[in-house]
Amino acid sequence: MHADLIGLGAIVLLAGLVARIGRRYGFPTVPCYMLIGILFGPGTPGPVLIDHPEDLALLASLGLVLLLFHLGVEFPAEQVLGSGRRLFIAAGVYIALNVSAGLALGFALGWGTSEALVIAGALGISSSAIATKLLIELRRLTNAETPIILGVIVIEDMFLAFYLALLAPVLNDSGSTADFVVDLLVSFGFLVALFALARWGARAIALLLDCREDELLAIIMVGLVVLVAGVALEVGVSEAIGALMIGLVVSRTSLKERVEQLVLPLRDVFAAIFFVSFGLTIDIGDLGTVAVPVAVAVCVTLLTNLTAGIFTARLFGFNQRAATNIGLTVLGRGEFSLILATLAIAAGLDERMGPFVALYVLVLAIAAPLLASQSQHFARFVPDRLLRSRWKYVQSETMSTACIHQDQMEVTDTDVDVCQQCVDEGGTWVQLRLCMKCGTVACCDDSPRRHSRAHYEAEHHPIIQSLQPGADWQYCYVDEILVREPLGQARTGG
Amino acid sequence: MGQGVHMQELPGIGKRYDIDLGSPTQRVSVVVRRGDIRDLYVFTSKGDEPTAVLELSREQALKLGAVLTGTFFEG
Repeated sequence: MHADLIGLGAIVLLAGLVARIGRRYGFPTVPCYMLIGILFGPGTPGPVLIDHPEDLALLASLGLVLLLFHLGVEFPAEQVLGSGRRLFIAAGVYIALNVSAGLALGFALGWGTSEALVIAGALGISSSAIATKLLIELRRLTNAETPIILGVIVIEDMFLAFYLALLAPVLNDSGSTADFVVDLLVSFGFLVALFALARWGARAIALLLDCREDELLAIIMVGLVVLVAGVALEVGVSEAIGALMIGLVVSRTSLKERVEQLVLPLRDVFAAIFFVSFGLTIDIGDLGTVAVPVAVAVCVTLLTNLTAGIFTARLFGFNQRAATNIGLTVLGRGEFSLILATLAIAAGLDERMGPFVALYVLVLAIAAPLLASQSQHFARFVPDRLLRSRWKYVQSETMSTACIHQDQMEVTDTDVDVCQQCVDEGGTWVQLRLCMKCGTVACCDDSPRRHSRAHYEAEHHPIIQSLQPGADWQYCYVDEILVREPLGQARTGG
Repeated sequence: MGQGVHMQELPGIGKRYDIDLGSPTQRVSVVVRRGDIRDLYVFTSKGDEPTAVLELSREQALKLGAVLTGTFFEG
């Protein structure tokens, strides 16, 4: 018992200290924890702090459960669901590209069908934690593409839930097709039941569980989550998805904020133990044998991410810089890939799965922050025609949604097709612009008399719209940028 | 109150407020993160790269805010 406590304490302390050093250099924390597990585990020569990784099994699964519970609780459903079709298309393309590339690679490796499905998920779903921290550290919170990136990773989280539900019966592998279908139905039935609870039972749950004291609320929550996760595992759905779904239920109640804060430190500690414990199962000698597949996987992920980034930028009318920012920020893989690898190990799949995902996560953990911070160099290689062909782009400039005059966009259409001032003065014009405040139509800045700008200077109406057929852009004179619609529930205070 | 302040949700992070100072070379955005950290983004050139970014704790933000609103501070 003494030895156990000493080993656990030492390894958690080391994980924390190493992650602290890593953070100074912008290195994500999750791979640090895993690395410490690998280095001080039984599979690596040198000091061994924990001889039997299975001793940590219960603590580690608590980490897994709390990780997914917290994901469910903080899920910003309203913000994302209300943000329009384009975001879902962008996220759908990102997920489809990455998951299908992962699936193809998984089958190409020839380790088996279940293995291919796990690899598809591990390669396809990016790490929310890494992407969010990157955006904060690279000072990109006001960039135009940032809300899109955040929206995409939230939809990816949602996709993870469905993917886990699909994967659980596959990994159970009951043999016959009929059993498999039953497993699949039970799995989705459980999901639907918890969805229904989230939709209609939130108030009752809040009444049942609420108490004013934080101490008791924390205890009740942890008990509830672990129980639901356990029941989920018992009926053949993974504990991960049970925890995620009960998190979604709690997120619909009035307890959301308090539970989020109370569970956060618990989650961080036990999730770290989960990642360390995953590392413990990895034999460092095995990492060499999967080096080639990992190298291929990293290249494939890089390619699919950049492709998805360019597609998203095209969809939203962003420039090259934004395209590469999107592709490279969501490059990081972490917690979700490791969760899928853990499920694969628990189901007794090919033993190369653990080392493969471990090395893949490590490589991308180093690559993602480096590449994301250098995105302007990649932006130079993206030709204009991949984006919106009629637009001219400033390739490596950051874009922002800085225009705050969108409340003054009142007139969007007009029948006028001449610049009246030019007609009065007997002049000609090149293109026409519509003042969105008052509806005045005047000539553009390429025209000799620039009546549109003169109108702005006289009346201070900020935004004009092009009346050129096929052009759908607006320009703000005050902020001197093209105006783009903000994502989600944006509004002007007043 | 609130005229010229534009709010945008950042899913999973918090809310972003753009404050209109009426000039393209003077722009300020504040990101209020969950967990009460506030990021102050200051833009003084026409480009979109921030000139300065300050990560303020709740206390720091309150102190700054109080001085900006003209509340007197001793010590």
